[in-house]
Amino acid sequence: MTMAAMTKDRIGALCTIGPAAAFMVGIVGIPLFYILYVSFNGPHFSPSAYVMLLSSRLFFQSLWSTFETSILATVLSVLLGYPVAVHLARQPARRRALMMIMVLMPFWTSVLVKSYAFTIILGRRGIINTALSCVVGHKVALPLLFNKFSVVIGMANYLVPFVVFPVLASLLAIDPALGRAATLMGARPMRVFRQITLPLSLPGVIAGASSTFIISLGFFVVPALLGGRHDVMLANLVDFYTRETLDWPAAAAIGMCLLAVIGMCGFIATTLRKVRRV
Amino acid sequence: MVHMEKANTNNDMVVPPDRLRLKDVMVRYGSFLALDNINLVIRPGEFLSLLGPSGSGKSTILNVINGAAQPDAGSVLIDGRDVTDVPARDRGLGMVFQNYALLPHMNVFDNIAFPLRVRKWPADRIRHAVADILRRMGLEGFAHRKPRELSGGQQQRVGIARCLVYSPSIILMDEPLGALDKNMREQMQDEIKTLHHATGATFLYVTHDQEEALNLSDRICLMNRGRIEQIGSPQEMYFRPVSEFAATFLGESNILSGCLAGKDLFQSDCGLSIHVEGRPDIAVGGAARLLLRPEHIMCVTPSADMPNRFVFIVENVNFVGGFIRVTVRGRGGGRLQFKARAHNDYANLQVDSEIHLGWLPSDTVLLPA
Repeated sequence: MTMAAMTKDRIGALCTIGPAAAFMVGIVGIPLFYILYVSFNGPHFSPSAYVMLLSSRLFFQSLWSTFETSILATVLSVLLGYPVAVHLARQPARRRALMMIMVLMPFWTSVLVKSYAFTIILGRRGIINTALSCVVGHKVALPLLFNKFSVVIGMANYLVPFVVFPVLASLLAIDPALGRAATLMGARPMRVFRQITLPLSLPGVIAGASSTFIISLGFFVVPALLGGRHDVMLANLVDFYTRETLDWPAAAAIGMCLLAVIGMCGFIATTLRKVRRV
Repeated sequence: MVHMEKANTNNDMVVPPDRLRLKDVMVRYGSFLALDNINLVIRPGEFLSLLGPSGSGKSTILNVINGAAQPDAGSVLIDGRDVTDVPARDRGLGMVFQNYALLPHMNVFDNIAFPLRVRKWPADRIRHAVADILRRMGLEGFAHRKPRELSGGQQQRVGIARCLVYSPSIILMDEPLGALDKNMREQMQDEIKTLHHATGATFLYVTHDQEEALNLSDRICLMNRGRIEQIGSPQEMYFRPVSEFAATFLGESNILSGCLAGKDLFQSDCGLSIHVEGRPDIAVGGAARLLLRPEHIMCVTPSADMPNRFVFIVENVNFVGGFIRVTVRGRGGGRLQFKARAHNDYANLQVDSEIHLGWLPSDTVLLPA
């Protein structure tokens, strides 16, 4: 490549991705470095916030809770989302487009509103318990709200589309002739699914599950509104330190830890995908 | 005598039924009649090609047979059994696809073993069967490769092996060589032909490539607009086409329009009186067409004794390697193409010069107008 062409290339790149890059540096990059600075007690620079976290039971409890909740929410989202994607993949293109909008519909409602809606559905005198009471004949009050159960339900409700779309993409990428070939060779639908559809859609499942899991790790509103005292996730802990105890270095340190954990998970997921491809 | 006849009838009953029979099959897509009253028989061990332009119904026939499409009327019989309402997986068919349809996440061995595992063969029998077919297809050493690590030709060989390994009653091939380049296509044609002779399997081969159909088939079924235009051996199809469509679809052709002036005399609209072989179904005085293959036209001397000899003006000469293709114009208008082996006699064939051409009455085919 000549110098002139290279310069031209650079100008092109600057024009196309420059604005977004500048915006991201201003809105994410700089604040992130500021948080890192605060977490080390700047301008005095001491790792005291991290030392405090390492000896805090609350931190490890909510770290564990964050993982547990995120894994449960991811598993539930995959279990709910996969069949939806399979159904969508079987529809003719026009009906599929319509159904994709229906899958996206929950996205158009704020997660705050949806979480309040869940308190009405799952509450002690909520829709489910009232309906059950009517059926059984005496008062039923299943503990559906303010526990891990409601948090996972609320999160999965938000996360299902993150599974549906990547899985749908990999299902649609499967050559329909494969299923026809297998059927003609005598395979029943169950075998076609187990030996062809499922393994070939796994890249989509891995992509969907890893993004779902990473999004889960940072959840704040749902555990705050639908969770109980024991369901504090790291994001809620950040909130606690910034607003209740005003210990900003601790909050910043938690934020950095969360970022490190998410980065690690992302790295593992990418490596897994690469390994599968080889 | 009576006894003899009885014995004969008994013998006839032992003859296996047709491998495949389509009876009055009709398929409609909305108002479009995709298949119009198709009756087709494939005999055991036969290699039958479905040939036709796209949209002529050949793929629809294939879909009706393999269960991907349900006929609106009529029935499909395999080995005498009505399978019209039998699901695809229970029809006992094999199919080779244009894009191979190999399972990308399985290696060659597992791909070929797939139909055998479906049939719950024991593992060591599967191992032997797959090893055997790999050897026959020249794929030894490829068992552990993934399909994407093979060339197109090798992939299609795996596709064919995957079919042969469980000896289905009919092997359907849907433009199996369509994705390969020209040299590979020719090589694979030979391989398929050899396999057909070696296995004695029944093949139904869908193609739009006339050369492929002519080279491979025992019989060709030519499709046009959802109907069977003509069915017969490659020779019959080429030398005795029944219609202008059949004549022009297979091979190169000159079609002259005109009328039948006498029992064996065709009067073309461009003023040529041509001696032909008459046809009982075309009445003298009636309109007709005449087929004249370019390679049947000979370049003759002015004094040659030939029933059909005319003077033409050379209009265009194309040298295409082994032969030349010449377009000529008659005195009364009308154009013909002729084809001849290229040799020095034609080296100084000048455009606008006169040329004497002739052909035999037996090389012409009268067609209904």
